[in-house]
Amino acid sequence: METSSSVSSNVAANDDATKNAATTKPAETKRSAAVASEARTLDYHALNAMLNLYGANGELQLDKDREAARQYFLQHVNQNTVFFHSLEEKLDYLVEEQYYEPGMLAQYSFSFIKALFEQAYAYKFRFPSFLGAFKYYTSYTLKTFDGKRYLERYEDRVCMVALTLARGDEALAKSLVDEIISGRFQPATPTFLNCGKQQRGELVSCFLLRIEDNMESIGRSINSALQLSKRGGGVAFLLTNIRESGAPIKRIENQSSGIIPIMKLLEDAFSYANQLGARQGAGAVYLNAHHPDILRFLDTKRENADEKIRIKTLSLGVTIPDITFELAKRNDDMYLFSPYDVERVYGVPFGDISVTEKYHEMVADARIRKHKINARAFFQTLAELQFESGYPYIMFEDTVNRANPIAGRINMSNLCSEILQVNTPTEYDDDLGYRQIGQDISCNLGSMNIAKVMDAGDIGTSVEIAIRGLTAVSEMSNLRSVPSIAEGNAKSRAIGLGQMNLHGFLAREHIYYGSDEGLDFTNLYFYCVAFHAIRASNQLSIEHGEAFAGFEDSTYASGAFFDKYTDQAWLPRTEKVRHLFERSGIALPTQEEWQALKVSVMAHGLYNRNLQAVPPTGSISYINHSTSSIHPVAAKIEIRKEGKLGRVYYPAPFLNEANFDYFQDAYEIGPEKIIDTYAEASKHVDQGLSLTLFFPDTASTRDINKAQIYAWRMGIKTLYYIRLRQSALEGTEVEGCVSCSL
Amino acid sequence: MTMMQRLSRVDAINWNRLQDDKDLEVWNRLTSNFWLPEKVPLSNDIQSWNTLTQQEKQLTIRVFTGLTLLDTIQSSVGAPVLMDDARTPHEEAVYTNIAFMESVHARSYSSIFSTLCNTRDVDDAFRWSEENPTLQMKSELILKRYRADDPLMRKVASVFLESFLFYSGFYLPMYWSSHAKLTNTADLIRLIIRDEAVHGYYVGYKFQQALAEATPERQQEVKDYAYELLLELYDNEVRYTESLYDEVGLTEDVKKFLHYNANKALMNLGFEPLFPSSVTDVDPTIMAALSPSADENHDFFSGSGSSYVIGKAVATEDDDWAF
Repeated sequence: METSSSVSSNVAANDDATKNAATTKPAETKRSAAVASEARTLDYHALNAMLNLYGANGELQLDKDREAARQYFLQHVNQNTVFFHSLEEKLDYLVEEQYYEPGMLAQYSFSFIKALFEQAYAYKFRFPSFLGAFKYYTSYTLKTFDGKRYLERYEDRVCMVALTLARGDEALAKSLVDEIISGRFQPATPTFLNCGKQQRGELVSCFLLRIEDNMESIGRSINSALQLSKRGGGVAFLLTNIRESGAPIKRIENQSSGIIPIMKLLEDAFSYANQLGARQGAGAVYLNAHHPDILRFLDTKRENADEKIRIKTLSLGVTIPDITFELAKRNDDMYLFSPYDVERVYGVPFGDISVTEKYHEMVADARIRKHKINARAFFQTLAELQFESGYPYIMFEDTVNRANPIAGRINMSNLCSEILQVNTPTEYDDDLGYRQIGQDISCNLGSMNIAKVMDAGDIGTSVEIAIRGLTAVSEMSNLRSVPSIAEGNAKSRAIGLGQMNLHGFLAREHIYYGSDEGLDFTNLYFYCVAFHAIRASNQLSIEHGEAFAGFEDSTYASGAFFDKYTDQAWLPRTEKVRHLFERSGIALPTQEEWQALKVSVMAHGLYNRNLQAVPPTGSISYINHSTSSIHPVAAKIEIRKEGKLGRVYYPAPFLNEANFDYFQDAYEIGPEKIIDTYAEASKHVDQGLSLTLFFPDTASTRDINKAQIYAWRMGIKTLYYIRLRQSALEGTEVEGCVSCSL
Repeated sequence: MTMMQRLSRVDAINWNRLQDDKDLEVWNRLTSNFWLPEKVPLSNDIQSWNTLTQQEKQLTIRVFTGLTLLDTIQSSVGAPVLMDDARTPHEEAVYTNIAFMESVHARSYSSIFSTLCNTRDVDDAFRWSEENPTLQMKSELILKRYRADDPLMRKVASVFLESFLFYSGFYLPMYWSSHAKLTNTADLIRLIIRDEAVHGYYVGYKFQQALAEATPERQQEVKDYAYELLLELYDNEVRYTESLYDEVGLTEDVKKFLHYNANKALMNLGFEPLFPSSVTDVDPTIMAALSPSADENHDFFSGSGSSYVIGKAVATEDDDWAF
């Protein structure tokens, strides 16, 4: 076993000039570069930072970032990568030292594995941006147990992911390597990070759990928060069912302390799990707008909130039914209903009834305790809190349920507000055992790079391979620590295929984000994805002879889901978009093809209950070199700040002099065009899409409210963060700084 | 001082009758930028803090102790004396905000200490700050001007404190942040920088107004005094910087940063820069992080960011609900 600071052909350098750098030690280089004089080679952080400073002639220094990526390899990565003579030696060592899972590799012959690695290395993959490389090596790649040296290159990680997800299927493994290393498909962080490692967290991204109105359920929830955070996922909880503060306990009045103490417990549970390392423990809680504690819930994010009730790191979401908008329209008061009484009157938890449907009935029912607040004032309070903290997320409850093809009710979303699935309650015995295991929600995600998919031209194959990869994650996950999650996953095999790099693609093609052509493209691209995702899941159902549990009650089974596709033709309305699809060689599915798919789905079912969800894609879009999700860029040169990365700079992918104007940032573009774009995509996505709205600090709460009303009217399902940008007061800017003037 | 008309009596302040629109603009900016240290999840930095060497920890605590002293001076002496010199009631109101926010800043460093450090190290650092000759000299040089009866020089001293003296300290959290250390602490410092940038600018603006009314002889006199004070502060600041940063090898770059900010402070006063650009070429990671704009696209799961403000609440109207 030999380690070395030079690099073999197996562990190929990012750049051929590796040898020059082998003389300087990385830690030294950083510091001395910061202080050295003219003749210095700048360190990679300094080069990266030059993206945010204009060059001598007032130009953007995009080349400095490419140089930063190169120097990062020369000064740091190559010298800290463990060297192996051959792949065989490397795999043997990594298995022996308990870095890699031997069982996973044993599914394949060594000659196949070798050929697969060769296939991956033949792409000559290079990170186009510093942040992509930095993020990958900081957060994803396999490191020695002391965390000091790298054991994998990007190609190795890709192969390990493909080998894990293919589960012995050589053809699938090769296809997965193709799709991932080309950048067309990028599995979400937990999958990409953990596959093939022996010491690892779960492959699933995201969990959603109900809490019922009893102490057993509350206690179990704290435990689930710990267990699932430890395994590396984000966890959301539904608080809507919990009785309000002042509600009776054992019929004695004024006993319950409501939801705030539960939020405190959850926040602490998440931050404790966070200390164990891996990934930040992160959680969200959702509450219905008509819950009596709604204003207390929002006030936990106030700038001047008391320490006892302040919520710092837990994310908040509010579910808003249509009736709330109707009441606000008439400038009426809105009634808040006691979940304790509602459950006694209707026999089901508050979260399982439609407030819109039962609103007037509940108002008239004297058995249900209620009080009222002004509906418009409620919306204004929401916006005030969003100004101060970015929270809460919003889920438009009735929109979501109308668009849901699955039988049952959706009453919450997740940490990124793109997962929208039905759930059922769990019942406990006194000893905290399970009387009836309900179904909670998990979802594993992966995103496709729109530009890369369009360039390759075979969207059918790309989607199918992605669906197979995601389905494998669902089948391989066994979350025994939370039985309701294991149950939900086993029955639904829900997955979430997302998309990213929309803005990058549009700008490269000289199309403005949110323009008529931009909307036309978004609509038809997602139209194609929907067709192929359903086709692939139907194919899986045929192969396994099995559909997801509850298929027979879905609108897929009745065929009603397909009406919108079989009743009308979906065609480009602009010449430019017609040309784009033609150039790619991507055929838009015809009504006849939909008809045939409908027949096959009704006969054989779908293997996955849920197929698409468009996540915000932070980290993976940097690695994949795309713009995040289907958002516009936050800035041409984005200033990114994360705990593990520090402050770094990311140039918009494809940005150059010729397309400069097409990279208008999200604050310039404004909320309406973003909402219009998401509305196009939403028509074809069975779950949700993370939609952040961007405002300058000069906006008012009314501007935020207007955007929310517009989003709701346009059929948007959820709203994620509100982000604000404040430009420096005139006279206090830093000269020559890109972020001050762009 | 004939050109400065102090407010001799108290009249009810009418924000709808402005003598100077700048007062309202700055007031609005400062109030919407109100924040408290409790919003920043500093405890997320504990792991990162533990990766620092003992030397780096000591440096960090000392730097923040030094900053605490400056904020305390500004809050308890600086802003109140400026208030006495105010030319309009609105200007006076702005200084009350500045005084309060400086107290919030001083309080913030203690929040950092109580979250990350142990009491003994913090007590040691406060003792160090009381005994460190250059830090005490810095304080004396400023306090002397604040206590002398020259309103123009008071403003000069205030601008030098806000726009120059703070930055030898601000350098360090920005350095950590660009190297993925103490990022939440850096968020908090960014909030402070966001405030100080406005403070320095505003006092400088008021100074220029007052100076324009003075005789040319007086103008020249004040200008000479200002450069003299800056050089005195600079010499001291260089020694202070060496005493802090020599051990970690950052002194030379911090000095460039001093030059850069000294020029910036002079600009705020309307004077020409002192240092040529050949000695102000600060490390790009620091320069790129210096902008007071709140435009970091932060990751919500590891921090609260530094861009949120108190919004303007405006009720919706019937038209907004026309659906």
